[in-house]
Amino acid sequence: MKEGLLKTENLSKSFSNGGTLQHVLKNIDLELYRGDFTVIMGASGAGKSTLLYALSGMDTPTLGTITFGNEVLSGRSSDGLAVFRRRHCGFVFQQIYLIDGMSVMDNVLAAGLLVNRNKKALLKRARELFFKVDIPEETWGKFPAQLSGGEAQRVGIVRALINSPEILFADEPTGALNSKTGLDVLDTLTAFHEQGQSVVMVTHDMRSARRGNRILYLKDGTVLGECNLGPYVHGSEERHRKLRSFLAEMGW
Amino acid sequence: MQKSIRIACANFRRAKGQTVAIILLVLLGAMMLNLWLMLSTDYKQNFERCHDRLNGEHVTLALNGDGEELRDFLSGVLEEDERTAQYCMDDGFFMVGSFAYHGGEVNTEFMILDKETALGRPVGAIELVEEGEEESGVYLPMLYSSDGRISVGETIEITIGNQTKSYLVCGFLNSAMAGSHNCSMSALVFTKDQYEELKKQDSLLPSTLVSVRIHDKTESQEFEADFKEAVSARYPEIQTQSNSYKLVSSSRYISQMICSGIMSAMAFLTTLIALVVIASNVVHYIQENMKNLGALKAVGYESRQIIGALLFQFSSIALVAALIGIGLSYGLFPAINVMMISQTGIPYDVRFLPLPFFLTLFCSVGTVSLTVGIAAWRIRKIEPITALREGIRTHSFRKNHAPLDKTGLPLHLALSLKTTFSGVKQNVTMCITMLVLSLIITFSGLMVENVIVDMDPFINMVVGEMADSCINIKTEAEEEFLQRMRADGRVEKIYLYHTENAVHVGGIGLMATMTEDFADVNNQAVCIEGRYPKYDNEIVIAVKYARERNLHIGDEIVMAAGGKEMKYLICGYTQISNNLGRDCMFTRSGYERMGSIQNASYYINLAEDVDIEAFQEEVGEWMGERMNTAVNIQEVIKGTGSVYVSLMRVIVVAILILSGAIVLFVLYLLVRGMLSRKKREYGILKALGFTTGQLILQTALSFMPAVTLSMIVGLVLSIQVINPLTALFLRGIGIVKCTFQVPVGFTAAAGAALCLFAFLIASLLSLKIRKITPKELLTGE
Repeated sequence: MKEGLLKTENLSKSFSNGGTLQHVLKNIDLELYRGDFTVIMGASGAGKSTLLYALSGMDTPTLGTITFGNEVLSGRSSDGLAVFRRRHCGFVFQQIYLIDGMSVMDNVLAAGLLVNRNKKALLKRARELFFKVDIPEETWGKFPAQLSGGEAQRVGIVRALINSPEILFADEPTGALNSKTGLDVLDTLTAFHEQGQSVVMVTHDMRSARRGNRILYLKDGTVLGECNLGPYVHGSEERHRKLRSFLAEMGW
Repeated sequence: MQKSIRIACANFRRAKGQTVAIILLVLLGAMMLNLWLMLSTDYKQNFERCHDRLNGEHVTLALNGDGEELRDFLSGVLEEDERTAQYCMDDGFFMVGSFAYHGGEVNTEFMILDKETALGRPVGAIELVEEGEEESGVYLPMLYSSDGRISVGETIEITIGNQTKSYLVCGFLNSAMAGSHNCSMSALVFTKDQYEELKKQDSLLPSTLVSVRIHDKTESQEFEADFKEAVSARYPEIQTQSNSYKLVSSSRYISQMICSGIMSAMAFLTTLIALVVIASNVVHYIQENMKNLGALKAVGYESRQIIGALLFQFSSIALVAALIGIGLSYGLFPAINVMMISQTGIPYDVRFLPLPFFLTLFCSVGTVSLTVGIAAWRIRKIEPITALREGIRTHSFRKNHAPLDKTGLPLHLALSLKTTFSGVKQNVTMCITMLVLSLIITFSGLMVENVIVDMDPFINMVVGEMADSCINIKTEAEEEFLQRMRADGRVEKIYLYHTENAVHVGGIGLMATMTEDFADVNNQAVCIEGRYPKYDNEIVIAVKYARERNLHIGDEIVMAAGGKEMKYLICGYTQISNNLGRDCMFTRSGYERMGSIQNASYYINLAEDVDIEAFQEEVGEWMGERMNTAVNIQEVIKGTGSVYVSLMRVIVVAILILSGAIVLFVLYLLVRGMLSRKKREYGILKALGFTTGQLILQTALSFMPAVTLSMIVGLVLSIQVINPLTALFLRGIGIVKCTFQVPVGFTAAAGAALCLFAFLIASLLSLKIRKITPKELLTGE
């Protein structure tokens, strides 16, 4: 029996577009589980990023509720959501979004010190994570502009994980990277998932989607279907076929 | 040109708030610049115009005496002197008098004339500026009507000599040389019936008023000295009082000089801040729009067209701001005029002045254009490809300030410190602003402490000696008077402090103050260098006069009084602005080497609970005719000093409001620039879980190192230089050295309040961070 982590009921999001109301998410009932690597897929405009922002507390739904454990997120103020994000979530962005004026270490510690004031413990965790993602010590004092795209995204992953979040949200984490560095980043995310990290990732890339154990397919603002791929096995053809057939079924 | 205008219009549209803030800063500078120019150019000219209109005299001499023989002698002296152009002599009374004014008392030498004589004088005519229907009473100088202090139809008590009587105020007069208590003598005009009544008063001696116009008015002081000396040589017993064009033209404009000095400093400092802010804005604009500038260059715009657009944009702003500022200065000028008239006593009609108008426009637009031109010069060096590729480079990668793994600072403080270190231009702008404001605050503190809260330091410097009462008696009664006073338990101290006329041979006439022993005087600070005279052949002279005439301590000068000339050794310099730096001091016996004194003024310090007026009345009763006048010095100071206190209060309030406004506008521009520059960073931090409040705190705190440090350094420096700077402003009234007490507590509190105000304003302006959402970052909105 999987432990529920995040739950939505009748989740809807609408935008006003030049006087007409556009319904991007429509009455989504969804539950995310602890330890899953959930992948949200869909065509452009299906609402996958909007769903990710709503789930992660970056945006507020128009209607419906989002519950994290016993906490209801919908209706919280922007500062209330900020507190939720810092305590429970980690983020990996497509554009990486490290802060230019801060060194690599500072980018990580700025997020870490917001939650944990024990600098010694935090530095220990940062070092461990840096070593895990293969960022050598001489890079820690560099500025983001001095890093390669892959290095920067791996720093982004360290920053996302510094507070040991319960969920790691990743929005097209390989979208701005070449295929080699993209693969490294996916390996990193997979490795953390294998150590128990819950991950929710939005992607339109099948190679990335294969890393997840649960695939949700969004179409026109609703979850059209889902597929369980089971634990990730590197190079598994069967897994690949299963995903391809699911996506074909969804009209991908 | 069209291309430049197109770019400028786009810039205007994009930065409306910034445009408004810059307009307000330039506007404030232009407003004060125009006010200063109006005050310093035309306002003082108003005296010249008034003097010309009334065919004003260049030297006035009032003598206690009349008769054919005296008049013949005076005519002879004047006609023999080639410098004389025109003169007239009138009968009148010349006497010390007083009346209540502005919560205190005016006490001065009055030149009393009857209405017909006053209005019909060919030289130094008196004009009526306000007249009621009252047929019997007195006309006062218009100075006393300003701000509605005394009105026509009001009854006032005037003490002339030793008699006090109520008079109806029939109207107000204007006289170029005797229209204020700052002129050595003040005109009082009585209706025929009241004048005839005065004639019956025994204590009033018939007097002669001689009004002389000379060919070269720049020689007025020398002419005055020679004329007085000639009279004193022939009639040593006659009391005289005189003034000269040079003295009066300065003394009637003391407030104007102070106000215009402060205005010039404020105009300069505000414009400086506006220019620093504009330069910083242009540099930011170039940084933020590097890609756009690259794109413009790539499609064929030349550097001069882009720089031209910025010049057009900012010079248009400066032009509009200067025009509004000038308009506002005309709106403010009537209020300043009312304050000024309460000191100058000369009517002034506010009208459009082309010279200050064009100078203000030229200075405002010129300095802004020059600043923009210099700041935008770097656009010439921008290569289109480099600009398009690199866009904004916001970090130099030189140093990671306040590294979070090493610093012991709390997170938000460390992050705000990082922002501080990354904004050099922001810090420079803030530092210059706060350094300027710290000087302004220190000056305000100085004025609050030494003028508004406790007027004594200001009065001590301006007037010189203060006591409770000054009683002028005939010298024949001195011994009995002193015996009785010394036996009176209410008298704490009594000492001679008497002023007579003397002439520096080869120079001008000086007011000669004497006492038996200078150790007795209350204000020992009058002598600012050297020491007071101890011996009969010693003299101290006003430092302003000494500098003008290149006289030094140790020099010997020849003085004349009562027809005798004597040599004296200069043993020190004094500083009192009472006579605009035309003073000297002797011991009594020193003065008496030249001339004798018929009357003597004694300064008296009374015990704390003694009623000064009652005491003086009592002395008057037993002294009878042997007492000439009694002056309640405390009341006089309250009356005349209150004009300066009111003026200073307005100036200090205006300065503090202006300081707040400057901080507001400068911070608005800086915070706005920072929010636009760091929008992406705020989005990232919000996504990571930073709350709006934490980011506002970080932003506001990032300004504080520059604000606080420059305020502390500024205050420390200002405290050191404020007295010499104030002396510079007061140079015109004979002050060369200021020793005002700097109120460190007030200054520090005001500085801290301004820092706190800056923090609050920065926090409020940073509220815009609320609108930055992490979603914008992700969707690229």
